[in-house]
Amino acid sequence: MKPAAFEYHRVGTTAEAVAVLDQLGEDGRVLAGGQSLVPLMNFRLAQPEHLVDINGVGELGYVRHDDGMLALGATARQAHVAAAEPARSDVPLLVEALGFVAHPPIRHRGTVVGSIAHADPAAELPSVAVACHASLTLTSRAGSRDVAAEDFFLGPFETLLAPGELVTEVRFPPSAPGAGWAFVEFARRHGDFAIAGAAVTLALDGDRVADASIVLCAVGPRPLRADRAEALLLGQAPDAELIAEAAERAVADLAPGADIHGGTEYRIGVARVQVRRAITLALERANGGDRR
Amino acid sequence: MTASASNAQTLPITVTVNGRAYELALEPRKLLADVLRQDLGLTGLNIGCAHGVCGSCTILLDGETVRSCTLFGVQADGAEITTIEGVAPSFEELHPVQEAFWAQQGLQCGYCTPGMVLRTIELLRENPDPTREQAREAIASNLCRCTGYQFIVDAVIDAAARLRSAAQQEEPDESRS
Amino acid sequence: MSRGAEIPKIQAPRDLKWIGRSTRRVEDPKYLRGLGRYVADLEFPGMLHAAIVRSPHPHARILGIDAEAARQIPGVVAVVTGAEAAELVDPLPDSGPAPDRHVFRVLALDKVRYVGEGVALVIAESRYIAEDARDYVDVDYEPLDPIVDPIAAGQDTSNLVHDALGSNVAYDRTFTFGDVERHFAEADIVVRDRLHWRRGAAMPLDNGGAVGIYDPATGELTIHANSISMTWFAFALAATLRIPSNKFDVISYASGGSFGARFCNWRVLVTAGLASKLTGRPVKYSEDRLDHITNGDQHASDRYYDVELALTRDGIFRSLKTDVIDDYGAYCHLGVGTHGNAMAQVTGAYRIESTVYRVRAVLTNKTQQGAYRGFGAEVANWAIERLVDKAARQLDIDPAEIRRKNFIQPEQFPYHIPTGNMYDSGDYERVLDHALELFGYDHWRAEQARMRADGRRVGIGLVSCQERSVYSATEFWFWYDDPAVQTTSTPEGVKLTADALGNLTVTLHSTPFWGNSSDTMAAMLVAEEFDVDPATVGIEYHGTKGGLPAAGPGGSRLTVMYAGAIRGAATKIKDKARRIAAQQFEADPEDVEWVDGGFQVRGTPDVRKEFGEIAMAAHLFATELPEGLQSGLEASHVYDHPYTTMPSKDRTDLGVFYPCMGHACHIAMVEVDVETGGVKVLRYAAVHDAGTMVNPRSLEGQIIGGTAQGIATALLEELVYDDQGQLLSSSFTDFLMPTAMEVPELDIGHEETPSPITEYGIKGGGEAGRMMAPGAMSAAIDDALVDYGIHVAELPATPERIVRWIGEAGGGAGSAPR
Ligand SMILES: Cc1cc2nc3c(=O)[nH]c(=O)nc-3n(C[C@H](O)[C@H](O)[C@H](O)COP(=O)(O)OP(=O)(O)OC[C@H]3O[C@@H](n4cnc5c(N)ncnc54)[C@H](O)[C@@H]3O)c2cc1C
Repeated sequence: MKPAAFEYHRVGTTAEAVAVLDQLGEDGRVLAGGQSLVPLMNFRLAQPEHLVDINGVGELGYVRHDDGMLALGATARQAHVAAAEPARSDVPLLVEALGFVAHPPIRHRGTVVGSIAHADPAAELPSVAVACHASLTLTSRAGSRDVAAEDFFLGPFETLLAPGELVTEVRFPPSAPGAGWAFVEFARRHGDFAIAGAAVTLALDGDRVADASIVLCAVGPRPLRADRAEALLLGQAPDAELIAEAAERAVADLAPGADIHGGTEYRIGVARVQVRRAITLALERANGGDRR
Repeated sequence: MTASASNAQTLPITVTVNGRAYELALEPRKLLADVLRQDLGLTGLNIGCAHGVCGSCTILLDGETVRSCTLFGVQADGAEITTIEGVAPSFEELHPVQEAFWAQQGLQCGYCTPGMVLRTIELLRENPDPTREQAREAIASNLCRCTGYQFIVDAVIDAAARLRSAAQQEEPDESRS
Repeated sequence: MSRGAEIPKIQAPRDLKWIGRSTRRVEDPKYLRGLGRYVADLEFPGMLHAAIVRSPHPHARILGIDAEAARQIPGVVAVVTGAEAAELVDPLPDSGPAPDRHVFRVLALDKVRYVGEGVALVIAESRYIAEDARDYVDVDYEPLDPIVDPIAAGQDTSNLVHDALGSNVAYDRTFTFGDVERHFAEADIVVRDRLHWRRGAAMPLDNGGAVGIYDPATGELTIHANSISMTWFAFALAATLRIPSNKFDVISYASGGSFGARFCNWRVLVTAGLASKLTGRPVKYSEDRLDHITNGDQHASDRYYDVELALTRDGIFRSLKTDVIDDYGAYCHLGVGTHGNAMAQVTGAYRIESTVYRVRAVLTNKTQQGAYRGFGAEVANWAIERLVDKAARQLDIDPAEIRRKNFIQPEQFPYHIPTGNMYDSGDYERVLDHALELFGYDHWRAEQARMRADGRRVGIGLVSCQERSVYSATEFWFWYDDPAVQTTSTPEGVKLTADALGNLTVTLHSTPFWGNSSDTMAAMLVAEEFDVDPATVGIEYHGTKGGLPAAGPGGSRLTVMYAGAIRGAATKIKDKARRIAAQQFEADPEDVEWVDGGFQVRGTPDVRKEFGEIAMAAHLFATELPEGLQSGLEASHVYDHPYTTMPSKDRTDLGVFYPCMGHACHIAMVEVDVETGGVKVLRYAAVHDAGTMVNPRSLEGQIIGGTAQGIATALLEELVYDDQGQLLSSSFTDFLMPTAMEVPELDIGHEETPSPITEYGIKGGGEAGRMMAPGAMSAAIDDALVDYGIHVAELPATPERIVRWIGEAGGGAGSAPR
């Protein structure tokens, strides 16, 4: 289990990174935390010809408030984001989900942006990005474009990212004051990818739901927004029955692929439970059960 | 497909390992774990799975635990690394965390031990007085196939007490009883 | 003690200085410093590295291999195909039923028989280059239909794993012990179960590895390896490699865990050996994780059971029937030894008058089985305990009480079970009572009722299981009516040396260490004999060349065997030293006694010499030695199996082959999330009786580690093959070993019923825990899901399976509690 040979490009600035990526085109691959890419290379399931190592791009290591948003640069490590005050106060859903991503030694290297760029359908962070209505900045030599996380994920390990492009930033709108949130998942072991998970944010107006965002993780080709469940909750004061109904709707059209840890039916069942539990917890928090 | 070693690129790096600076010329694909084990002879870390799961290859990179099997050696340019060989203060003495693992029999085959000791050092720096549950969660990043973890948890708790009392009294830790 | 001799009454150990103390382990400092040296750490000048080209197909004919492109890659020294390897080395040692008809080779020859089987070997300047070249080895396969389901394969004769065998059933025999039919006819109740124990694996964190060093000047081949050394059996490996046995040396290194995976492990050693013989340079073959999972010797029992227990209406067991199909994978090189282990204790801790055991070993396109902690006896434990639990439920008797009713009683030992094996000693009720108290059984039963009233699915399960230890060689051949050889030796030799200062070194002739505290055991046993601190005892390992006979670890034998061997060697040394002391005291040796590390004349303690003084005399003052003694103070001793009897010709009695019988009671309390199928262990207690404990903390470490593995066997770990024969769990992301968060805190208790047949009364304890936990966990899950009438009959009980069972019981998500 040794990786195949590649050519290595260490870059120090964003400009340098995109210049090299531009030159390499299809052959270039970004190396961020390496926590997904290097294991694949060790199995020789990935054999990139060129790696562009962005770890030395200091200007992309930030975790900061920017224009009312939480902005994370491409090399902001998962562990540092989870510990950073702006993230803890602004996007508690992200911080909660990070607790489910692998283990601290992996989070010390792995980046939030890298996880999103990798677009593993079982990963937590893409669902969180969609649930939070995050947006991404994709930068190439030609310039930058912003895309909504919602649009970014096309399928398993497939995104809008074009050859030569680097995801330079992800921006999360801060959680609305008084809003509730929850990331809930079921995994076989502590730190494993989920069998199914749910990311939920809820804003209340009085006891009525003013805004709901429900996104499922690990049960489809990409993060799946449960819009029918969201619609059901809007304007309602959810009780257990309505929440169960929302969970039912959230999984109504799911057709998750099977693997050795769970078949299609089983994953749907687990997803239903996770959605129900996540909505319940988010509501509790919105009702003051667990204030920041 | 794959280029072979003879025509491969090599890159110079400087890296400080256990307080000593090294200058190396490395093939980029060489895993940091192999660089430490083969080029520097630091075979304390072990490669148990080579895909980041088991944690036997754990090192401290700029003070933080990482898997050295998911990093390339060239990425360590300019870094400071501590491996298990750099933990004990001298040939005669063990680090209090190592002492605690010994006293509690927090190891059996010793293969996961370097990683477990380094994780414990890191945990106790962040949280000098962890509960058993916190200790468990912290070491859950690393697999141990022998111990069932309980004596490792004992060792973490014991180590915490040793480090706290050492910090309070600035006394050398207790020797073999 | 001589074989078959009368068993003496149990003697509690005399006053002991070191045995029974939880001293720190002598091997630990080097591992704590990262200086332990595993075989993967070895470097030799000019060393090459090997990588195996593995089959992607479960079953395919090899039409041809083109390795030319690979050979051209700079840094590649050689590529060896299976056909070329068959020219260089003979088939691997094989104690299977028909080794010439299911031939086990280092590389596949004409056909590949599982995904991962080696078809060629690349030898290069680095492992990186070897793996590069591997991609250029072009193998032309003709895929054949995969043989995956052992039940179907057993019937099929058209599609065979080994054509020469004419069948996929490598072994099929029924052993009947006692009047089973009568006991069944007389029974009031017969409880039946169909059980499925799925394939797991030992999965140590360290992989198999070896460095072969062939010396063309002498024709000697040295193999540094982390496999068991087995001086006892190395000649067979030498024969495979075509090296004279006295020019062949296997030097053992510590292994980062084994749990059975380093037992035999022939392919790794032969790979390194043949590569070095071919190139004339040192060659390292270090399995990586993928090699070890797909092509190592560590896959474990994969069994389908039909079992029946006959009992009276008041819950007294009469007879047991076992019919088991075991999916051995593609080869059967350890024979069906895992069923011998089962038959050593098949009737459990209970008085059962008769039993019948049918075993069918089926070959399929999966990796061959190796050994895993319990070696098949853990599965039989699970089977009988499942039956007992079913009987308890049917008769509405508390699970603890039905066991108590049927226990073999303390005064009945030594006790022969129907298969012929003997249990040397035990007090099972005491262990049970201790466990119930330690767990707080009554209290937690009451708590359970309260939790259930709150809608929680909480269950408590209990098992009382055997742990056989110290196997004898008869179990290798009692399978066959006309075995080629009827070996009876399972020896363990040590050498003990006192230098001129009296400092002691013990030379061990088996594998050094794989987590089992073997150095500490040896050091403590020496310390006990000579009244020194174990930390001062030197430990050294001898290679197989010129070594004493030693069968090495396996079947929890090592501590017992070391105790016998060290005792024997120490006695020889002390006898000589006593004679020297007597001469100096001008006393009769009979009147010279050993007291606290020295000799004195009985009754006059001031006439005394320290051991070091005598040692000095023995080494440096030949003229002062008693007549007939030579200089030096060392002794070797080979300890044979403490108690073996021969099987009967008709095999209605297998003889005594696994006599040191440990026992344990495990009690688990779990909570099941019926919606996800997740199981959480809330409480766990275990009481073990492994005879006299040498180092209680180390033994506890073994018990806890084994229990963690057993819990994982029950809930998590499985090697999954799909119906096309592809292995789906070939990484640590899919083969789910537990982290610290999946393993509970255990409460451990001990009883010590000494063995009457071993030194100090020690029994083996190394496989503990894993042999009990699966049954306790199954019972606890049953109990948690009692409302659904669930009886766990398949392991691992994964979350998905649990949800399915609940669904099948009519308890789908709709009926789940809120
Ligand atoms: C043992 C283990 C357990 C894990 N468990 C989990 C888990 O439970 N949940 C989970 O979500 N993840 C898990 N991971 C994966 C981990 O979170 C990764 O860190 C993450 O998925 C990828 O981030 P990275 O920075 O390491 O990216 P890399 O591995 O460096 O890159 C991943 C991919 O994204 C591309 N990429 C990265 N950054 C950019 C960028 N800025 N622009 C364009 N492309 C980019 C790379 O080219 C590559 O194709 C686990 C990993 C390991 C080793």
